[in-house]
Amino acid sequence: MRTVGRADGWAKVTGRAAYAGDVRLPGMLYAALVRSPHPHARLLRVVKDAAWSVPGVCAVLTGEDVPYGTYGRRVRDMPVLAREVVRFAGERVAAVAAHSLQAAREAARRVEVHYEPLPAVLDPEEALRPDAPRVHEAAWRYPGAVVGPDDPPNLQSRRVWQYGEDVDAVLSRCPYVFDETYTIPAAHQGYLEPHACVAWWKPDGSVEVWASNKSPHRLRAQLAACLGVPADRVRVMPVYVGGDFGGKGSPMDVPVCVALSQATGRPVKLVVDYEEDLTAANPRHSAVVRVRLGVDGEGRMQALDVRAVVDGGAYAAFKPVEHVNLNGFAEAGNTYRIRAVRIESLIAYTNTVPRGHMRSPGSLEANFAVESTVDVAARALRLDPLEFRLRNVLRTGDRGTLGEPWMEVRGEEVARAALAALREGEGAGEESTADGGRWARGVGFAFYCRAAHGGETEVELRPQPDGSVVVRVPFPDQGGGQHTVVRNVVQRELALPAEAVWVQQADTEELGTDSGVGGSRVSLTASAAAAQACAQLRERLRQEGLEGWELRAALAELARRRPGESVRAQVKVDEELWMNSFCVQAARVRVDRDTGEVRVDELVTALDVAGVLNPPSHRAQVEGGVVMGLGSALCEEVVMEDGRVVSGNLHEYRLPSVSTLPRLRVVLVPGGRGWGPYGVKPVGEMTNVAVAAAVANAVADAVGVRVRRLPISAEAVYRAMQEAGR
Amino acid sequence: MKTPEYVTPTTLREALELLSGAGGGEAVVWAGGTGLGPLLRRGLASPAVLLGLEKVGELGGVQPADGGLRLGATVRLRDLQRSPVVAARVPALADAAGRVGNVRVRSLATLGGHLCHADPAQDLPPVLVALGARVCLVSLRGTRVLPLEEFFVGPLQTVLSPEELLTEVWVPGESASRNTVYARFAPRSPEDYPTVGVAVSVRLDPDGVCQEARVAVGGAGPTVLRITAAEQALVGGVLAGQRIRDAAREVEAAVDPWDDSRGSAEYKRAMARVWTERVLQKLADEV
Amino acid sequence: MSARTVELFVNGRRVQAPVEGAEFLAEFLRERLGLAGTKVGCGIGACGLCTVWMDGQVVSSCLVPAVVAAGRHVWTVEGLTDLAEGRVTDAPPGLPSPQLVQAVQRAFVQCEGLQCGICTPGQVWAVCALLSEEPRPSEERVREFLAGNLCRCTGYQGILRAVRQASEEWAPSEDP
Ligand SMILES: Cc1cc2nc3c(=O)[nH]c(=O)nc-3n(C[C@H](O)[C@H](O)[C@H](O)COP(=O)(O)OP(=O)(O)OC[C@H]3O[C@@H](n4cnc5c(N)ncnc54)[C@H](O)[C@@H]3O)c2cc1C
Ligand code: FES
Ligand code: FES
Repeated sequence: MRTVGRADGWAKVTGRAAYAGDVRLPGMLYAALVRSPHPHARLLRVVKDAAWSVPGVCAVLTGEDVPYGTYGRRVRDMPVLAREVVRFAGERVAAVAAHSLQAAREAARRVEVHYEPLPAVLDPEEALRPDAPRVHEAAWRYPGAVVGPDDPPNLQSRRVWQYGEDVDAVLSRCPYVFDETYTIPAAHQGYLEPHACVAWWKPDGSVEVWASNKSPHRLRAQLAACLGVPADRVRVMPVYVGGDFGGKGSPMDVPVCVALSQATGRPVKLVVDYEEDLTAANPRHSAVVRVRLGVDGEGRMQALDVRAVVDGGAYAAFKPVEHVNLNGFAEAGNTYRIRAVRIESLIAYTNTVPRGHMRSPGSLEANFAVESTVDVAARALRLDPLEFRLRNVLRTGDRGTLGEPWMEVRGEEVARAALAALREGEGAGEESTADGGRWARGVGFAFYCRAAHGGETEVELRPQPDGSVVVRVPFPDQGGGQHTVVRNVVQRELALPAEAVWVQQADTEELGTDSGVGGSRVSLTASAAAAQACAQLRERLRQEGLEGWELRAALAELARRRPGESVRAQVKVDEELWMNSFCVQAARVRVDRDTGEVRVDELVTALDVAGVLNPPSHRAQVEGGVVMGLGSALCEEVVMEDGRVVSGNLHEYRLPSVSTLPRLRVVLVPGGRGWGPYGVKPVGEMTNVAVAAAVANAVADAVGVRVRRLPISAEAVYRAMQEAGR
Repeated sequence: MKTPEYVTPTTLREALELLSGAGGGEAVVWAGGTGLGPLLRRGLASPAVLLGLEKVGELGGVQPADGGLRLGATVRLRDLQRSPVVAARVPALADAAGRVGNVRVRSLATLGGHLCHADPAQDLPPVLVALGARVCLVSLRGTRVLPLEEFFVGPLQTVLSPEELLTEVWVPGESASRNTVYARFAPRSPEDYPTVGVAVSVRLDPDGVCQEARVAVGGAGPTVLRITAAEQALVGGVLAGQRIRDAAREVEAAVDPWDDSRGSAEYKRAMARVWTERVLQKLADEV
Repeated sequence: MSARTVELFVNGRRVQAPVEGAEFLAEFLRERLGLAGTKVGCGIGACGLCTVWMDGQVVSSCLVPAVVAAGRHVWTVEGLTDLAEGRVTDAPPGLPSPQLVQAVQRAFVQCEGLQCGICTPGQVWAVCALLSEEPRPSEERVREFLAGNLCRCTGYQGILRAVRQASEEWAPSEDP
């Protein structure tokens, strides 16, 4: 089948698509950063002389030289450059701008920094003790802080979700209580474009910025707050974003780049090394999650108590949500009917790299812990794990675990579809038994359910004299295919061929509002806004007496009559839609009995869908998510030693490659009720979550051991087998 | 900060003169650059002169020699992988060369650079040690030929002196009379460096009795390790059962690994045993 | 800082520019020549974002110092696109044919072989190199050849589909 393909495809295959790091401006300088080698230290003195001696150096800045405030997505606790103290190894201590990248890097190497190391706190549990060293003197004073002076000194955020009966009371009445603890390490989002930006502080005091950031409007607001200037002085220019997965939503190094530009009067480009990105950006939170699951004599879940102690790292600046927590924890157990649920998530400051969001933040942590526990329970109760899940699965008409009035829940249908697909694949692709019994085989399931959320955005249509339409949107396409979705909607609504619809990203000055690409909300908001803009455009054509015309001729005529005229539609979608999507994943694995090596032979993903605006992009989102989930399951971990990230390059931090992929089977289960004119459900954060639990459960099925820490490395399985005497 | 000069002599003599010459100590050999490149990028090395070997004809080529092979130092791993002579005489070497890193690395990396880089987790050292390869080191003062296992000193360290070049690698003819198997265990991803790599080369008589054995393990010590205790355990008996297990135990006892992202020392030691058993079993099955 | 002038052939044109310190081909192309289609990810040869064609084979331009590239023939994604769009008159032997490049680029767009696109120039180069070497590679060969070109977005499925489509179009199978 031949399709037109993605709206952004041609620009990308020809190398013409411009990303932040690709921008070159006349007179532009290059920046490099000096970072702290210590997890916690007092900054005694910075000697700049040797750096200045490098020819071509134009600025050497330290915290004292930067006149801006702190910044953050919600809590503004991050300094542009460290002042007085450094709080994690990798923190920015000084910044250099020079005429060439090489000169900047050389000068950065020559900046001499004197530190007095301080006692560091590296573990969140320890950090929450009253006598722990303090990461911040008074964290509650930061703008946006959600903690108070009476909280434990290193608390970043505490959140409790509960519903139904008293959990402890119900647990105490349960004949079976499973008490399990799981560990999820930090992980890098794995976008392959390291953070990059170009900033230009113009002589009139306005600032232009090109940045690898997925939400330009929020970036503008965050920057304005940090720089202390009105938002309309800051203009964020459109560029493509080379992967995001939650990691490209913050200002990151833009403020320091702006500072260098202000200091030199020149545009400045700052592109960090991948090593810097791996060690000092905003990796996924690490967490230790304790789960207590109470089950009655009939194998029905009664109570769930989840307590997560989460490492937030040295700054809270990268969490955008209201409570500065990880909302994915609220999903713990939400695929089941459970009478009493209590979930607590405690996030602590530590002297480690600040943590940020990664595709469905909190969800993987909660899901791995709960869905592993569910399997443990099923096996202990001698129930088939899938059967146990189906006995307890939430159904349409049930309230959610936290009282959500879901409009529907399609868990059972989706699970049955997954099972059918798994059966189809049985036997296929398996090697003969000639491997001498080396491989033990197993299958495992995991359920996941995610709520859809609203947001706001704006779309503008500009008819062109050739009868085509330029569609302007305020958000970038960071790969999710949002521009293609918008193109498809406009194509459908106006019955235009693909080549007559051109989607462009506007800069922040040109279009007003957008909540950014995040929480998988863009396809909802943008499709609605595009549909509405199309309706308005048709109305304009009617007003102009053009409704009888062939559409392209009418558009051309309108463009001729009213040059430059456009229509705009703004859409705001409620935050709570009471709509969810259900995903069931099943892994078929082999485990090497002697080495612990795990090979995933097949991964089935069954997904609840409604209207699909662009089937190929939808499928690609599903597949990309699954492979990312496999990375979390099997190989990805940001490893820290003494508070320093040691997995600092792509040899050490292993991303899945094309050579080890299992067969991916994707089953879409249509018939769901979606939202908006096209009845859509979000997909971007659905399929990366439950893979880890499915694989862990399959490993347990194969060799009878339970791995309670990610990633499920060969060595982890080997050790578990040794301990179990297998 | 210096901008290095790239010089490309055309004869071995010229290259050696540059290495030991007036600017002595300033020139660093540049072969494929895949080992040196990342160090330069990160400012961990900043040589004034990069001495490119690509134009030195004497250092290239793969030739059959005395039933074995002469491999020039500048042969690219990708050419080693695809060379019909190599595939015919020592298929284990061609196969291992095809598993190093990725295709772009194999296109640049050279055999000589690979050996001189001396990362203990590399793939070709165990294979070549098992094959009984020797390396030829040349300086203006003369030539020395060493068994490969004596070439490595420690992580990223070899016996090479700064004015010496590794010019060629000899794979002896008698290795063709043996069977050689290499297994690389890279459970995180096939593109990863191996957690351990085990190469064994044996000559079995028609009854399956082991006449000669060479055992080498990579990734499990400061250099590739040749494990003679395991070799002794193999020679003189049929390659099967207890003998295989004994030899594998010797390997486990002899290796000296450390903890890193590819596994703990303890795990690598156990894996060296498991993979030695597997390699030996494969050799036994091939008879 | 001492600079040197380096002269090489990029996309068929002789170019000359100063280089400084440990400046690598990737940055030389991007910052000195403005050929930003070549991307930089890992900087250690592992991800494939910086893949270019140099003297007949694909290499990581992040591993080649600009001074080492002197005198060589380098082709970037911009050159590949020039080739596909008919702007190269005297292509040196060994470069992928324009029709192949067209087929590969089209297939990436049509088969969702890309999402964010940051890996795409490198992927396109790798696939062009593979298919000009071996027009109908087996699935296993494709995986082996592309194993060093990472992609975080697509889960590789779209890329594999694109390779199959391009291969089929470029060298149709004999059997129906
Ligand atoms: C992405 C990536 C993945 C990799 N994966 C693997 C893997 O899976 N397995 C594996 O085994 N290896 C792997 N490697 C390492 C690779 O094998 C080595 O980098 C490579 O073989 C070095 O060869 P070179 O010709 O590029 O050496 P260079 O970088 O040119 O040289 C390496 C060192 O040897 C010196 N030198 C080179 N040639 C000579 C000579 N003839 N005489 C004296 N000194 C010399 C140089 O001065 C330098 O110090 C990987 C490398 C990369 C970049
Ligand atoms: S940037 Fe060169 S291979 Fe990754
Ligand atoms: S398309 Fe984003 S990394 Fe490949």
